[in-house]
Amino acid sequence: MTLPLAHGIAQREDLPIPLALFVFGAFVVLVVSFVALAVLWREPRLEQDRWRPLPDGLGRVLGSRPVEVLCGTIGVALLVLVVAAGFEGQQTAASNFAPTFVYVVFWVGLVAASVLLGDVYRAFNPWRAIGRAVAFSSRLVARGDLPPPLEYPRRLGMWPAAAGLLAFTVLEIVNSTPDDPSTVAVATLVYSVAMFVGMALYGVDAWIDRGEGFSVYFNLFSRLSVFETRDTPGTGGVLGVRLPLSGLTSLRPAPGLVAVVAVMIGTVSFDGFSEQQAWVDVGGKLGDLFGSLGLSSETAFEASSAVGLAVAVGLVLGLYRLGTAGMKILDDRNRAGELAVSFAHSLVPIALAYVGAHYLTLLAFQGQAIFYLASDPLGSGSDLFGTAEVAISYFLGATLIALMQVGLVVSGHVAGLVLSHDRALTVYSDRPQLAVPSQLWMLAVMVVFTIVALLLLLAGNG
Amino acid sequence: MTTLIAHGGHWLLNIAYFLPVVGFMAWLGVTQWKERRKRTERQQSPDCERSDPPS
Repeated sequence: MTLPLAHGIAQREDLPIPLALFVFGAFVVLVVSFVALAVLWREPRLEQDRWRPLPDGLGRVLGSRPVEVLCGTIGVALLVLVVAAGFEGQQTAASNFAPTFVYVVFWVGLVAASVLLGDVYRAFNPWRAIGRAVAFSSRLVARGDLPPPLEYPRRLGMWPAAAGLLAFTVLEIVNSTPDDPSTVAVATLVYSVAMFVGMALYGVDAWIDRGEGFSVYFNLFSRLSVFETRDTPGTGGVLGVRLPLSGLTSLRPAPGLVAVVAVMIGTVSFDGFSEQQAWVDVGGKLGDLFGSLGLSSETAFEASSAVGLAVAVGLVLGLYRLGTAGMKILDDRNRAGELAVSFAHSLVPIALAYVGAHYLTLLAFQGQAIFYLASDPLGSGSDLFGTAEVAISYFLGATLIALMQVGLVVSGHVAGLVLSHDRALTVYSDRPQLAVPSQLWMLAVMVVFTIVALLLLLAGNG
Repeated sequence: MTTLIAHGGHWLLNIAYFLPVVGFMAWLGVTQWKERRKRTERQQSPDCERSDPPS
């Protein structure tokens, strides 16, 4: 045992305090938050609908149909640009618009935009815009209403969205050439076809709201925002404000919701874990095993990553279900599955903590590349906006980044505790004595998620 | 296999962070299960039945 332990625990050398103190500090914050909630937060506060429109007609203008059409058109143009750049541009990630746009601006940047501004992706969603335009045109040609689409199966719930998100992360994390521009273009086209089939079968809104992975993904994050657009018949929508976090309490439970959230957290966890020495060791051995079965080294590497990704998602799902199964010990009325769906929204801030902390530097630094790539999307030497020579500024220091990551992780988990506590007060409104004891389980789950996040972010690789 | 074992120290020490939580969950499970059993027994006891209002 001397040899392995001689390594000691490694941590990043730029941390201002030891990793163990970060973990202990996060634990203390969660426990203090839990006690404060138990003592001071006695009534559900986030379940009430306190939405109100932005003043002076601003909300009506920003949510109006013309603005929605304009945003949709921009979304479609960007979709076309990604596919065109992927096929026609230079086949290197550094000089092609498609990979940086998809993996940084779209996948990570839109998370930040959703949390700050609300569900902006819904307006820019190119597949929704195309679907609505086709439906509108078809009604004009047919001079009347079209035959109604199939009813969206209730049991299907958000499972297609979970599958779509998992497929995207397989492309991003498992695929050995994820930033190959033509791969990005092909994946975009394949996903587009799947979305068009889904919308044709079940209608645009029914499919987009539950079946389209990115819509569900960004919508969940947007529920953390104070901004929400509400539809008004005939005139588009109205943008308004609501209490922070209250958007998540109005999330309607659906089959597959827990899976979506588990994919959100599990895939980021594996993305972080795959950079650690532990995975280099285990994944390498797993790759050797697949290689011995006759797979090429590249395919064997992808297969081992796929297994790792699936295990990470499974562990997140298992841990959460363990927490809700624990709540079931006291609760003799609700089934464990019902509790799991009821409290699933409390995992969304945790997903944000994982995504935000893990991809913070990617967005802050690599995100700047979009300025020069926008001027030269194909890498052909053009300078459309005069920004082709913009350089990336590394404006955040390593210590500040580490502190921001820890802040995101801890505040995300505290927000999860708040949501979970508030929901417990509603679920156990007729048995208030169960509300706090049931949440001890969620506290334990949050502590485990916090430790995992900190270890993945801050532990060393050596 | 050598590499796997050589880096085992990192894993073991990282896993050690989770032990208090695992212990807490085990304690929580046992105490809450006992509490639920007591509650069920109280509900089924003759004293409880006697306290019901006469029909």
